[in-house]
Amino acid sequence: MSSILKSKIKMLKVKNLHASVGDKAILKGLNIEVKAGEIHAVMGPNGSGKSTLSAVLAGRDEYEVTAGEVDYLGKELLELNPEERSWEGMFLAFQYPVEIPGVSNINFLKTAINERRKYFEQDPIAAKDFLKMVKEKSALVELSDKLKNRSVNVGFSGGEKKRNEIFQMAMLEPKLSILDETDSGLDIDALRIVAHGVNTLKSKDNATIVITHYQRLLDYIIPDFVHVLYDGRIIKTGGKELALELEEKGYDWLTKEEA
Amino acid sequence: MVVLKENNLLNSLSQMGVGLGAKNQAFELLKGLEFPTRKTEDWRYTSVNKILKKKYIQFNEAEKVGLSNEIVPSLDAYNIVLVNGVYSKELSDLNFPDEIVVDTFPKALEEHVSLIHNTFNGIAKNNEEVFTALNTSYFHEGVFIHIPKKVKLEKSIHVIHVNTKSNVVSNVRLLIVADEFSEVGVVQSFASVNAMECLTNSVTEVFVKENAKVVIDKVQSEEPKNNLICTVQVNQKANSTFKINTATVSGDFVRNGVNIDVDGENCTSEMNGLYMQKGIQHVDNHTKISHLKPNCTSFELYKGVLSDKSTGVFNGKVIVAVDAQKIEAYQQNKNILLSREATMNAKPELEIFADDVKCSHGTTTGQFDEEAIFYLQTRGISKESAKKLLIEAFADEVIDKVDSEELRIWIKEKLD
Repeated sequence: MSSILKSKIKMLKVKNLHASVGDKAILKGLNIEVKAGEIHAVMGPNGSGKSTLSAVLAGRDEYEVTAGEVDYLGKELLELNPEERSWEGMFLAFQYPVEIPGVSNINFLKTAINERRKYFEQDPIAAKDFLKMVKEKSALVELSDKLKNRSVNVGFSGGEKKRNEIFQMAMLEPKLSILDETDSGLDIDALRIVAHGVNTLKSKDNATIVITHYQRLLDYIIPDFVHVLYDGRIIKTGGKELALELEEKGYDWLTKEEA
Repeated sequence: MVVLKENNLLNSLSQMGVGLGAKNQAFELLKGLEFPTRKTEDWRYTSVNKILKKKYIQFNEAEKVGLSNEIVPSLDAYNIVLVNGVYSKELSDLNFPDEIVVDTFPKALEEHVSLIHNTFNGIAKNNEEVFTALNTSYFHEGVFIHIPKKVKLEKSIHVIHVNTKSNVVSNVRLLIVADEFSEVGVVQSFASVNAMECLTNSVTEVFVKENAKVVIDKVQSEEPKNNLICTVQVNQKANSTFKINTATVSGDFVRNGVNIDVDGENCTSEMNGLYMQKGIQHVDNHTKISHLKPNCTSFELYKGVLSDKSTGVFNGKVIVAVDAQKIEAYQQNKNILLSREATMNAKPELEIFADDVKCSHGTTTGQFDEEAIFYLQTRGISKESAKKLLIEAFADEVIDKVDSEELRIWIKEKLD
C-alpha cells in the first residue's frame, strides 16, 4: 500500500489559501493536497467557502487571492488564466451551468478541444474522431442527440444541465475535476447517471474533488478523503465514514469544537 | 418661408441627364426644404453637418475597377455595376432573361415610358425627406427592374455600387416593380476601393403588387471613411410578401431609412438589420411600417455590435391605421456595446389606432455576458475566442434571415 502511495503523482497542493470578494475574507488559510487516483470530498455548511474554493481554483476574476499558494502539477496555478488551467487539465463542473443562446453544444466543444490542441501544437481534431468521441461520451451520461446539438444549456432541465457538465468533462478528459454541488437539484435517477459518469471516468491518473453540502452524492461517488470546510478553513479530514458521521450528526459538533 | 441654405454638398451637384418632369418638380420642392439639424425629430441623434460641409466631385463616366469577393460578395447572380454612381457596361451582366426588364436610368425613362409612368417617383417622399428630394433632383444614373406577372426569377439581381475615387458624390436610383404573382430577390451592395470621404445617396422605390414577393438584401461594406444614405420606399398590395435585410459592416456615416406602406390585406413584411460599427463610425436605422389594411403581419429584428467610440441609432415606427384590424406587428432591437465609450440610441414608436391588434416591441442594450465568457474559458476557450463566439451567436439570429448561403457566409466573414 505505501509503495503505491509513494508512486502517486502529486496533483494539487493548496497551501494557506486566503481569498476574498470585495472586502469580505472568505477563505482564511485553507490547505488541501490531492494526488492522482484520489477522490476528495469537500463538505461544509452554507457560507463556509465551498463555492469560493472552486471559483478560485478555476480562476474566476471576482475573487482576490490575498495570501497562499496553489501548486498544480508543478505549476503555480494562480498565475494561469482560466483557459490555461483548462488546457493543463483542470475542469470545473458548475453548480449553475450557464446558458449560452446561439452557441451550439457541439461547436463549442469542438472549439474547446481544438484550442487545447493548438496550445499543445497539435492539429485540429479530425471530424470523424470528434464525432466518434461525441457518440461514446454522450452515451455515458445518456445525453440525447437533440441536446447535443442545441445551444449550450438553453432549454435544458436541471438534470440535463448537470449531465451536460459531465459530458463536457468526459470530452475534455481532465486530470483534475472539481464538481461544485453537482448533486444540487438532481433527482435520484439523474444523480445515478451523473455518478456513473464520474466513476467511469475515474482512473489512476486523474483526480476528483467533489464539493457538496449533502452526503447523498457520496453514496454513489465513494471518496477516499472527506474534508470539512468551515469558515474558510479545513477543520477536519477523514475517510468516507466522516461523511456518514456528518449526515447523522450535522456540522454543529465540529463547528462548536472549532469555536 | 423656408429657403434651402447653400452648402458644399449642394454646390458640388449639377443636374445632368434628361430634363424630366419629376426631377424639376423635386428641384422646386427642394428649395423649400431644410437639411435636418439636431432639432429635427427624425435626425436627433444623427448630425449631417459633417457630410454637408464636404466638397465632392460628381462623375459621369464609369471608371474601371476589379471587383473581388473581398470588396463585394461574389454571388451567383445577375450583376449590374455602378462605379462612382455611373453604370458600367463592362462590369455588368447583359444576359438577363428575356422575360424581365433590367435597364439603366436615364435610358429606361425613355424606353419604358408606359411601365414607368405610374411607378417612378410615385412613392418617394420628396416633400418630407430632403435627401430623397435631393436624389430625385440630381440623380442621373440608376437601375430599373421590372418583373412581369407570374415570373419567378431563380437567380438574384445584384446591384453593386462601388466608389473608386475619393470625394465622389452620387445620387443613385433603383426602381423595382414586381407585378402580380412574380418573385424576385435583389441584392444591393455598397462598397468602395481606395476611396475616402464619398457620399452615396441612394433612393429605392419598390412596388410589390398583389401576390408578389420581393426580397432585398442590402450589404453595406463601405470603407471606413465613407458616407451612405439609403432610403427604401415600399408599397405592398394584397397577399404580397416583402423582406429587407440590411447588413452594415462598415462606413463612417450610414443612415438607412426603410418605409413600408402595407396597402393590402394578408401581407407579410419583414425588416431585419445587423450593424457592426467601429472607431468613430455612426449608423442610424430608421424604419417605418404603416399598416393601412387589416389582416397583415410584420416582423422586425435589428441587432447591433458597437465597438470603440462608435454610435448607433435605431428608430422603429409601427403605425396601425384605424380600420387595420387583426394586425400582428413584432419589433425587436438588441445591442451589445463592446466598449464603455460606444453609444446606442434606441427608440421604438408604436402608433396604434385600431383596437384588435397584436403588437410587441422590445429593446435591449448591454455588455457581454461575463458569466458566459468565464464558462467558456473554463472549457479551454480563450477569452478572445469566447467573445468572438458570443458575437457570432448574437449576429447569427439576424444573419440566418438571409436566404442565400453564400451571402450569409460573406457577412459572417466580415464579422471578424
